[in-house]
Amino acid sequence: MSIHRDTDAELRFHFQARIEALVEQGLSREDAVRRAHEEFGDVDAVREALRAIDRRLARRRSRLEFFESLWQDLAYAARSLRRTPVLALTIVVTLALGLGVNAAMFSLLDVIFVRPPAGVADPSGVRTIWYQAQFGAGARFAAGFDYASYLTVAKTLAGDADVTLFRQPIDRKVGHGEHAPIVTISIVAGNYFPFLGIRAQRGRLFSLDEDRVNDPRMVAVISDAFWERQFDRASDAVGAQLEIANEKYTIVGVAPRGFAGTQLNATDVWVPTSTLVRTAPPSKVPWWQNSAVNGFLIAVRPRAGVREVDLAARITAALRSETGSLGIDGHTVATLGSINYAMGPATLPPAFRVATRLAGVAIVVLLIACANVVNLLLARAARRRREIAVRIALGVSRGRLMRMLIAESVLLSLVATAAALGAAAWGGAAIRALLAPEIHFASAPMHWRVAAFAFGLAIMAGGIAGLAPALQSSASDVAGALKASALDRASRGSRLRNGLVAIQAALSVVLLVGALLFVQSLRNAQTHDVGFAVDQVVFGAVSFDTRDSLRDKAFPTRLRALERKLAAFPAVGSVAFTSMPPRAGLHQQDYTPDFDTTGRRLPVGWTIVVSPNYFATIGTRLLRGRTFTDAGPNSPLEMIVDQTMADALWPNDDPLRHCVYFPKTKSTCVPIVGVAQSTQDEMLTDKLQPHFYFSLDNPPVPTWGAAASVLRVSPNQRASVARALHDLLASEFPGGIPTIRTMAALMEPTYRPWRLGAELFTLFGVLALVVAGIGIYSSVSYAVSQRTHEFGIRVALGARTADVMRQVVSEGLRTVLLGVITGILMALAASRLVASLLYGIAPSDPATLVAVAIVLVAIAAAAAFVPAWRAAKADPVAALRAD
Amino acid sequence: MTTTRELDLLQGTLDVLVLRALSWGAMHGYAVAEFIRNGSSGTFKVLDGALYTALHRMEERGWVESEWGMSEKKKRAKFYRLTAAGRRALRDETATWNDYVAAVARVMTATLETA
Repeated sequence: MSIHRDTDAELRFHFQARIEALVEQGLSREDAVRRAHEEFGDVDAVREALRAIDRRLARRRSRLEFFESLWQDLAYAARSLRRTPVLALTIVVTLALGLGVNAAMFSLLDVIFVRPPAGVADPSGVRTIWYQAQFGAGARFAAGFDYASYLTVAKTLAGDADVTLFRQPIDRKVGHGEHAPIVTISIVAGNYFPFLGIRAQRGRLFSLDEDRVNDPRMVAVISDAFWERQFDRASDAVGAQLEIANEKYTIVGVAPRGFAGTQLNATDVWVPTSTLVRTAPPSKVPWWQNSAVNGFLIAVRPRAGVREVDLAARITAALRSETGSLGIDGHTVATLGSINYAMGPATLPPAFRVATRLAGVAIVVLLIACANVVNLLLARAARRRREIAVRIALGVSRGRLMRMLIAESVLLSLVATAAALGAAAWGGAAIRALLAPEIHFASAPMHWRVAAFAFGLAIMAGGIAGLAPALQSSASDVAGALKASALDRASRGSRLRNGLVAIQAALSVVLLVGALLFVQSLRNAQTHDVGFAVDQVVFGAVSFDTRDSLRDKAFPTRLRALERKLAAFPAVGSVAFTSMPPRAGLHQQDYTPDFDTTGRRLPVGWTIVVSPNYFATIGTRLLRGRTFTDAGPNSPLEMIVDQTMADALWPNDDPLRHCVYFPKTKSTCVPIVGVAQSTQDEMLTDKLQPHFYFSLDNPPVPTWGAAASVLRVSPNQRASVARALHDLLASEFPGGIPTIRTMAALMEPTYRPWRLGAELFTLFGVLALVVAGIGIYSSVSYAVSQRTHEFGIRVALGARTADVMRQVVSEGLRTVLLGVITGILMALAASRLVASLLYGIAPSDPATLVAVAIVLVAIAAAAAFVPAWRAAKADPVAALRAD
Repeated sequence: MTTTRELDLLQGTLDVLVLRALSWGAMHGYAVAEFIRNGSSGTFKVLDGALYTALHRMEERGWVESEWGMSEKKKRAKFYRLTAAGRRALRDETATWNDYVAAVARVMTATLETA
């Protein structure tokens, strides 16, 4: 009853009763009416007041009722799901996988690209300076400056922007020994902390007089995490000594909780730039004028009203006036970038590029999961058509019914979110470890924002997944559903379901194509000849972390003296020595070739000093000539170049007929006795770098001598040889720390992008395939169960098993084929996105596309076969009786 | 006709009276009005309109709940019943009212004491 009529009826009753009573007391009717009104007061005003109150009351009640019935719906949904635990579990696991993968991937992308570093005041106001310059491999963006450039920039921007500098955090040892803890240390300017708006939670931060370039102050500020890890939050940590890489620092303060620098890699210890007087490599040039001491990042905070383009233009002009350090020249262009270093403008490291593609993959997985859940819910709704029709017949409103069905799927997705967040927190850590093992991330793998996002996504996905079946079943006509003969059920529902199966098949194709492309890229990369026997080489070096042993000049000689002992190891084919294992860094040697160099740009002289059998041991082929003479100290002065160097210096001539001058041997031209194949020290996709090889026995310039032994072993003996090598080096060099590396481990980062792509795409692809397979199976078997009647009649009329099966399987396959074709088109459209990440294979590789299509069709046929078999075995009598 | 100010003054008192009436059991608005009319023997006059307003407000506050039923004379009438919250309110309001009456009485009967 409406509020209006309610109030009127109540008041009418009052007046009737009162007037009646007064008339009984002997009043005339008119007097009674007048008296009753006098006693009541202003009727209209009261009526309005009552209505206003009742309207408020009604509104509150309907809200309450909504929540009550929502609760009822959820309770009902929980009950009905408990009756079908397998279905519920399938849906929860499917959704949890889809959501979990997304939460994990987007948490990672959030940390890398979006979320500013914790603890920084107004982080969007902080900008990183980049410059575009010419390097060996062409023009690219860099952010590492030398100190002179920093001073130039600071002077140029004075008054219009705050400027600070810091170095990328690096790992260093605390104390001594093989198992000494590692800290991540960053060198920062004295104004670094105030620039970022950081205050000490204990002690103090750096003062500006600790920042004078030539006056080393060995002080350190530690992070909250390090304070906890190393000092167990003891208050006497401030004032304590910390020995890092042979230098003693006094801790002066602890940074606030949460702050771990501005880079992805969490910093444990900050020390002022003045410490470089002690820690920079020895040089005649003081470190602040030495462009070899570089890698400083410069951050600026423009003042209000200062335009960034103007700042960038001024920095560009200032840098160009500098005398060419670090590739900075008259063409250098400076740009300002985000505080999030990965935002560039430099090209992303390959692992991060893979991560962005994987985020796309995660979305595809979620889409497949959603399609599958909708499908399962549709099947469920179809099975419950009678139940729903009964409810409608009993007067449950359609709106209410829809809410009940949606409540069910929302409940499912809530449970799935909980599972997904757990999975994501674990999987997020796993993905980080996989993609970027060398980064100690400052933040937790999950952020509440991503958790909230996943939660919202789940509710939405659940709502949508529930809506389709709900709409379909609530629109069903009651009488028809109650009669529900088998024949009229193969309706619109199955078309929607077939569409969903096709979508799943299509998306699976996309993922599988991606997986196969990455697997082939990895194989191509691994079989690519990098110039080393990747699987058969073990390096053994010794590092010393005390000053006494660092001065041990006899080490190279003593190391080479071990040659016989090393060669006696079982499974060792040959032994060699080198000044530097590949990828450990290279020495750059000045040189003058034996021709007029005016107007020619000479390649950089990257130099490795090796023993004569180095090439045979490490697996670098000699293309021409021979290796060094093995005559100990009596060896002649000779050198070897690699093909890249030979091509750069003497493109049209035989390099063996040439020679090179070096600073210390001005009068002697060192003859070239061999040409080695080019080796890839950097990423596979980088340009090959030119190399010189000198002999350890008689190098044309003074060198450090042998630093590492190289052992050629059979691949399956690597581990045992590594152990024996470690023990031998430990006993021969007491106080030293044996460092054993396999070539495979050194090369791992080279292959990582493809390995990651191959592993994760395959994982997701197979997952998608399984989900799609289940979808096809359930869809076909549902269609079959709905048509038992029809098949019964056919069998009764004499159809053979093969006929019925062929019909069912081909109907299932038609849907899948449509999906496969769509998927291949989608994969072709998406190929542009992964092309740059592949190696030695085109994203539209026809063999790959065909292979995936075949796999998918085969799986679909297998999935359709089982229900088809069931259909063919339909007992005609039972089928006809069922209705 | 009473002024608004007088109604406001009456508000708290009226609530207690209505709650008290309903403490005997469910009754419709007219019965509540009769209870107060007869109980006060005309000492004070309560406008019936104010009484209904009070009833509806108390329903909004959750002190009473209403239900349509049949009156003694077989007519449809809206019946009000105390809720648990209403009974609690009655206890509190009665205590407050008693304190108030006692305080007023003390002031009215006090003699002036010179310091």
